[in-house]
Amino acid sequence: MSSRILLGMGWIICLILIPAEAQETPESPQPLRFEGYPGAHEFDVVPRKDELFFYPCTQCHDFLESSAEIRELNAPHDSDLEHGRGRIWCLSCHDLENRNTLRTLLGEPVDFDEAHLVCGGCHANRHKDWYFGAHGKRVGNLQGERTLYNCTHCHNAHNPAIKARAPKPAPPVRSGLELERGIEHEKSSIWDSQEEHEEQ
Amino acid sequence: MSKGNSSGDGGHFDKARRNFLRGLGIGTAAAVAQPAWGGQTFQDTFADFFQKDYRRMSAEEIEAALERIERKAQDRYDVEIDCQNTPPQPGVVYGYAINISRCKGYRDCVHACVKENNLGRDSQMQYIRVLQLDQGDFNLEHSDHYYEPETVPVEGKHYLPVQCMQCDDPPCVKACPVEATWMEPDGIVVVDYDWCIGCRYCMAACPYWARHFNWTDPEIPAEEMNTNTHYLGNRPRPRGVVEKCHFCIHRTRKGQQPACMEACPTGSRIFGNLLDPDSAIRYVLANKQVFRLKEDLGTEPKFWYFSD
Repeated sequence: MSSRILLGMGWIICLILIPAEAQETPESPQPLRFEGYPGAHEFDVVPRKDELFFYPCTQCHDFLESSAEIRELNAPHDSDLEHGRGRIWCLSCHDLENRNTLRTLLGEPVDFDEAHLVCGGCHANRHKDWYFGAHGKRVGNLQGERTLYNCTHCHNAHNPAIKARAPKPAPPVRSGLELERGIEHEKSSIWDSQEEHEEQ
Repeated sequence: MSKGNSSGDGGHFDKARRNFLRGLGIGTAAAVAQPAWGGQTFQDTFADFFQKDYRRMSAEEIEAALERIERKAQDRYDVEIDCQNTPPQPGVVYGYAINISRCKGYRDCVHACVKENNLGRDSQMQYIRVLQLDQGDFNLEHSDHYYEPETVPVEGKHYLPVQCMQCDDPPCVKACPVEATWMEPDGIVVVDYDWCIGCRYCMAACPYWARHFNWTDPEIPAEEMNTNTHYLGNRPRPRGVVEKCHFCIHRTRKGQQPACMEACPTGSRIFGNLLDPDSAIRYVLANKQVFRLKEDLGTEPKFWYFSD
């Protein structure tokens, strides 16, 4: 359904962009590229390539045969892909030809430090919020140079849901008082006595 | 604000009073000028007694007060702190927004705040409370901020951090009988801890339970003391005064993030300048469904919540 809408929108864009004479030629036009959201402040992204254990990928994949066949993987890349509930697999984001880069849905190469461009291909709402500061985190300051954490800094790209973890300690109860929970204030005895008082 | 004009009727009494005060003033000056008698601590105590309201102090008097604060911290905690008086930035009014669909109730903000603001580790005082509520329930009376499950978020619960809402029409300021609390030009409601008499009227007036009274002298290990302090913010406070969140005035006025925002691992806290149309907070206010707590009271909190 959505792909049909996208296709339709693509055609409309083509019609607008291509002058009348050019429309007659059967050559397919270049799709529009994402070039950021207008009005968003410029920013840098915290690089993450140094933290990737297997990067550069070509240190192994230069010597391995590549296959585009969808299959179960084994070590070191066990099939632990929780992302997309089975709708996507490795080559939706990773490039088969150039192993050291990611790829967008249009097949454009994307550096691992710019991973948000890949995520934004599907999660456009979040991507836009992230551009404007309503999603994700800004490093350190409030004014001046704007540096953002990449999507993959917080979300594991292969299993993006954030895991539950233990909270920090609860506030202490003031000495001399006891912790009472789940008090129904409306059913507290003070209201009963108030009602009795009103009846009298 | 009018500057204490003497009325014509009580001229005689006024003159006598003025002479008396002048005498005191000379006494104070003598005490300050001669380090020979009484020693530094005695002089500081003496000067503290005659210290004016923050807004009535001259630049020199504030400077002297800051030095006294630093000396007292040295005495009390054996730490060399840097107490500053960073002025508000022009054209800035701070606002806060919290994404409650992203908040998981980790309480990282609470503990970062305790550390940043030199809150007593023993005194049970915390500026931020993270309320746990049943999903779909927004009755704050059903909330629990003592929750302690194995892991958060708990299934079927949602979390709502509350702290000082920095109201634009703050009822606490109206309640203060000595004008020890007021709103700064950048929208932060601050307390002059030296002028506060500890009557706690403001606590009764605050609809958000955001003000706290410190019953004990804050106990802070010397190595955990935050030495970057502000007169109106996180400087070591005396016992028996009211305190509250001040949007990390010592950080935000220098263009840094408040400590709770920096500590939040989920990025649910969005802080910024409400007067800057390009700021993140303005994007949130323009593009998200925001609401404020107890909005019907008309206190105009500069603190929004939203979910997406």
